[in-house]
Amino acid sequence: MNLEHFLKGEAPGWMDVKGLDADIVLSTRIRLARNLDGYRFPLSFTENEAHQIDVMIKEALQSIQNDEHRFSHFTVKEMPALQRQVLVEKHLISPLLAKKEKSASVHLSNDETISIMVNEEDHLRIQCLAPGLQLAETYADASKLDSKLEEHLPYAFNESFGYLTSCPTNVGTGLRASVMMHLPALTMSKQIKVVTQMLARLGMVVRGIYGEGSENLGNIYQISNQITLGKSEEEILKDLQEVALQIIKNERGAREALLKNSRIILEDRFNRSLGNLKYARIMTSEEAAACLSNVRLGVDMGIIKEVHLNVLNECMILIQQGFVQQYAGTTLQAGERDMYRAKLLREKLNLNNQMIKEKGEERYDV
Amino acid sequence: MNCEHCKERLATVTVTQVVNGQKSEKHYCEVCAQSFHPFNLDFHKEEQIPIHQLVSNLFGLPVWNSGAQEKAPSTPKKSDQCPTCGFTFRKFLNEGKLGCPQCYETFGKQLPLVLSKIQAGTTHSGKAPGKPNHHNEWIKKQIDSTREQLQLAIHEERFEDAAELRDEIRELERKLERGGVDAP
Ligand SMILES: [Zn+2]
Ligand SMILES: [Zn+2]
Repeated sequence: MNLEHFLKGEAPGWMDVKGLDADIVLSTRIRLARNLDGYRFPLSFTENEAHQIDVMIKEALQSIQNDEHRFSHFTVKEMPALQRQVLVEKHLISPLLAKKEKSASVHLSNDETISIMVNEEDHLRIQCLAPGLQLAETYADASKLDSKLEEHLPYAFNESFGYLTSCPTNVGTGLRASVMMHLPALTMSKQIKVVTQMLARLGMVVRGIYGEGSENLGNIYQISNQITLGKSEEEILKDLQEVALQIIKNERGAREALLKNSRIILEDRFNRSLGNLKYARIMTSEEAAACLSNVRLGVDMGIIKEVHLNVLNECMILIQQGFVQQYAGTTLQAGERDMYRAKLLREKLNLNNQMIKEKGEERYDV
Repeated sequence: MNCEHCKERLATVTVTQVVNGQKSEKHYCEVCAQSFHPFNLDFHKEEQIPIHQLVSNLFGLPVWNSGAQEKAPSTPKKSDQCPTCGFTFRKFLNEGKLGCPQCYETFGKQLPLVLSKIQAGTTHSGKAPGKPNHHNEWIKKQIDSTREQLQLAIHEERFEDAAELRDEIRELERKLERGGVDAP
């Protein structure tokens, strides 16, 4: 696959609207950090070491290649800046990798659910993405690939410290599991602070992806484990799963309460947001994210029926500045970006409505 | 307010972060916020409590920073150096990161002190190369708990959820059948 395939504005495979609690949990991510024995970590390695590692990993991936595992390889320094940014916005590479020069590269599966970053902070970072809440399944996918690679690569492993990583915050399992959640009702009812404090005590981190004022932008939160050593993979995943289910329960409760107490206010808010997305001429990323969050909640609550969640997922990715510039075909000033963003959203929301009406039946009759 | 990172552009983005139970809010411009990413730890390096400081607070050791480093009274002994990458324990404390896998052996005695502060323990208890792990058991447990959720959903007449949960169970069972997910 060529790079263009991965730069498309369509929502990637892991953003499909399926999977458990997919209305609240947008996606699950599993990341495994691995390093090769006998080579210095990227922090201190030489250009030559970096190159050797890149080649070794490429060869290992070639030898395990089959229908399930087929990857396209891209070298970071050969990619133009805007394209790197688009891959970051699609969560296919990290911002750190995008900045790397020394033989840093990425192997991507065609459906964009697997990304293997080479020479980021560690020699190898296996990342698997899936829609909805699927911690066990996604870990199984990542672990399977990891076990296959292990037969071809000399992993740095130590009986007492586990998988050795550059940063001691990743050592042991090398596992970072995260769920991206849309929590508008908990945010509106100001309960999110309590949730955040509770999670900190449990060794989990909450990050708003982006936020405006004290509210997080688009009401989207990423919750992940902080502990990687002293707990097994299963324990880490189980704890995160339990926390996620608890938050889902609270969010659902908060949504019911909102709907019961202020239905007309919500209806007004959701429809206004939809109107803005469909007709505005200037859209900052903050406003766009807030409107998309409102419309999404409206769809979840059955108040807005004409928009499909797929379209909203796609828009959430497209409103980021790299994508807006790719859409415009040139680099833009902030003010120009806001105009192009509005244009893009108008096109998406008006066009996709018609498409859904046309092929609605086949879509829902699954 | 101006961006806390570049201190140039207007801050339009707030990033909420929890470090060691302390919640903090950072305000960035769109440009700087772009370089923030959920798994990019580097971005918050300056704001996070650096590991060296954490250790210093813990053991009452002096805090070194790159500026004061030359003034530090004792120079590291040669035996303190990692034979593969040349890192010293002090360099690790300053960087917050190790130089190579060998470092874990070289600093095997000092590291648990740091790890016990940032991790749940100092010994690995998970997957290991060449060893099968208990993934199938975990999937079985997962099926059990999903079944419970399914019963609850049916009981509460949330039939859409129930249908999803049923699919979820099927998917998990398929995973189990394909079996040996982790078999080499
Ligand atoms: Zn800035
Ligand atoms: Zn070393």
